Amino acid sequence: MISLTIKKGYNLNVSGQPSSEVSDLKKPDRVALLPGRILFIKPKLLVKEGDEVNIGTPLFFDKRDDRIQFLSPGGGTVQKIHFGPRRVIQEIVIHLSDKEKKESFIAFSENQINAMDRTDLVKAILNGGLWHVLKALPFRDTAAPETIPPAIWVCLDNNEPFHPASHMYLDGKTGLFRFGLAVLKRLSESVCVSVATESPISDDKFMEMVTHQVSGPYPAHDPGVLVYHTKTHQLDNRSWSVTGQDLLLIAELLKTGVYPIERLITVAGSLAHKKYTARTRIGAPVAGLMPSEDHVAQARIVAGGVLSGYTVSHDSYVGFYETALTALPKGGEKEFLGFARPGIKKHSYSRTFLSVFNRKPLDMDCGMHGEERACVNCSSCANVCPVDILPQFTMKAIHAGEVEEALDHGLLDCVTCGLCSYVCPSKIELSTILENAKRDYYKESM
Amino acid sequence: MKALNTIFDSLRKYFEAGGRLEKLKPLFDATETFFFIPGDVTKEGPHIRDSLDLKRYMSIVIIAILPTFFWGIYNTGYQSIASTGSHVSFLTAIFKGLEIVLPMVIVSYGVGFFWETIFASVRKHNISEGFLVTGLLFPLILPPTISLWQVALGISFGVVIGKEIFGGTGKNFMNPALTGRAFLFFSYPVSMSGDSIWTVTKGTGAHVVDAISGATPLSLSALSGPGMDISSSLTHAGYSMMKLFTGLYPGCVGETSTLLCLVGAVILVVTGVANYRIILGGVMGLLGIGLLLNLFAGDGHSPWFSLNPVYHLVMGGFAFGIIYMATDPVSAPGMNSSRWIYGILIGALTMAIRVFNPAYPEGVMLAILFMNLLSPVIDHFVVDFRLTKRMPNV
Ligand code: SF4
Ligand code: SF4
Repeated sequence: MISLTIKKGYNLNVSGQPSSEVSDLKKPDRVALLPGRILFIKPKLLVKEGDEVNIGTPLFFDKRDDRIQFLSPGGGTVQKIHFGPRRVIQEIVIHLSDKEKKESFIAFSENQINAMDRTDLVKAILNGGLWHVLKALPFRDTAAPETIPPAIWVCLDNNEPFHPASHMYLDGKTGLFRFGLAVLKRLSESVCVSVATESPISDDKFMEMVTHQVSGPYPAHDPGVLVYHTKTHQLDNRSWSVTGQDLLLIAELLKTGVYPIERLITVAGSLAHKKYTARTRIGAPVAGLMPSEDHVAQARIVAGGVLSGYTVSHDSYVGFYETALTALPKGGEKEFLGFARPGIKKHSYSRTFLSVFNRKPLDMDCGMHGEERACVNCSSCANVCPVDILPQFTMKAIHAGEVEEALDHGLLDCVTCGLCSYVCPSKIELSTILENAKRDYYKESM
Repeated sequence: MKALNTIFDSLRKYFEAGGRLEKLKPLFDATETFFFIPGDVTKEGPHIRDSLDLKRYMSIVIIAILPTFFWGIYNTGYQSIASTGSHVSFLTAIFKGLEIVLPMVIVSYGVGFFWETIFASVRKHNISEGFLVTGLLFPLILPPTISLWQVALGISFGVVIGKEIFGGTGKNFMNPALTGRAFLFFSYPVSMSGDSIWTVTKGTGAHVVDAISGATPLSLSALSGPGMDISSSLTHAGYSMMKLFTGLYPGCVGETSTLLCLVGAVILVVTGVANYRIILGGVMGLLGIGLLLNLFAGDGHSPWFSLNPVYHLVMGGFAFGIIYMATDPVSAPGMNSSRWIYGILIGALTMAIRVFNPAYPEGVMLAILFMNLLSPVIDHFVVDFRLTKRMPNV
């Protein structure tokens, strides 16, 4: 096992931490898939409103490769399909029936997996509708089934506030996890499993499977960061990644022949009434996880982490990949003589507030806390960047239209962690600028 | 506070597009955002943002400058009264100092702000907080005898030529306050150098008692002929190392006290607003060249060669320059290793100018300006070097 310490990054000490308890939620009455939240895909619907579907019935596929399908996480009727601007499919809502029917898929034993042809295995995952959980770096688009990646990274932890810790969802699933690794080993020569050094998992059987023990501030556990710090060859940049929970889904599908629907989702943030980790279903309604208490109405609900996530409305659903919901104060109050306050409770990467002496978690709202200005070259952004990009220079290259130069600067290594935008005193949207440039580059090369 | 907010809300309409005072929108915004951090919220990207903004950043710089500013007031007043031979009390020194320094500061801020507002309204961008620092630094690096019209001219040059023609704060590559000073230095050398400019004698009702009290340690040192020992002529003139360090002697308004510059440095470095690498590098460069010169000291060489280089740290504007001017992030390089190079070269150049070109005894300002010009170049090479070590990802 390799111990890896990632030095750069930053841990936000946000208030509203979840308790360590995992509660089982009762079955919701609806679940949904959110195609608009899945990067790059061009969804083509296979169902219409009113159709009966089972757990595992294909709802849509990706027009770019029709084998990549997305299956229904519930059995019942297609209640509503929401379209956004330009007819983007936003939500496919399934009203669940009391007794949900399940599609059945072929089940395999571990020995069968080990002896299987790669093509057949790929086909089984494709048919089971879970191929899309395999993502190809650096763009994190769905992996191309025929490609043999240099490595597949299984990143078990995520230290962006607040995500379920690996020991919570792996509890009692060592065997299933082993099965999942056997599957991945058929797809790539090299399978890396990373876990946080501080993880309480002590099971020896499990630890044997771990290849990298990683410590460091957010986003140390991001696959892009791990690849950046371990790569020995340029080809490694094209490694694949899968999260721990998603790998368990693949394992369950192939082992049992049933389309899996369970998800652990952390609900937290200073405005969440109850802060906990929920065992619920893929595509569960936000309202079921976070009841609409008064203070939730004043909150911004973020799906997928406070730095890299997106805003969801209270009547929406949790996206397939998201395992965190955070209720943050909306912010937006003007602050009188704000620049002159001692700031014992003002969170900051810098040492310009008295909060440097305050170790307590701090309330963080969605305010900008200042106006946009030109870059003053303070280099805070470069100091936090986990993959040694110099965001201020890369941003200037992008603005000047010098894509090649931005690429030389490591644009594709950017993991969109959002830290550079967080720290910038000039309030420049660095991570968005880099992310857009990276996506544009990808779309042009597609 | 609520009332103030209401006032701003009711006045805003005049400054919005189509309003009568539309052109003055940046002025309105600057005033409003001085009192209130705007309530904007994140739209995209990370949902939460650091509490630090440029206003806070620049306020810390101002706080760090204040000790030298107050000392400048006291010292200027003290020197002015002392030159008449009369007894100086603390209060009279302060009053006299305020009388001299405040008008300079007011003119510097007023005129500079005028230009900032004009450029901001033409370019339709906001007034940058960086100016609050420039406007305060500028009078502190001028001799107290300077005329107010020269202050106005200097700050105009600094803001317009040093900054705005490049596109404003963040796009300029020279420190505006230094640009203004350099302009005055070359256009009005008589007002900017010599022995008679460091103490205000006008209005004190007496003439200077002792001519030597008008000379600064640097000009005094530059006067020493071959074979003379600078440190003893300094001591002879009353400039002990301790006096030079604490700063009760004639000089530019804010520069004389190395001690208080150090206080500022502590504030800047502890808060992380200034990069310590530049300051340390500067000190190293200065001492390094100084020690090197010591090796060559002896007959036929200027007495500078044998001077203990520690004197250079406390004489003239070096401390002030390296702490407040060289660390201005906009005109300094952005990479840590470039910052070392930049600092070291400023120190070395300062020494070189002082020793080899006594016509400009105050080398630090020119050294910083020159290095301002070079800083993008240093960054360019350092970044390029770094990229050669980066495994490509395309
Ligand atoms: S450039 Fe910004 S968003 Fe990208 S990895 Fe670095 S800090 Fe994160
Ligand atoms: S943090 Fe912002 S102001 Fe500082 S160097 Fe980066 S982009 Fe420029």
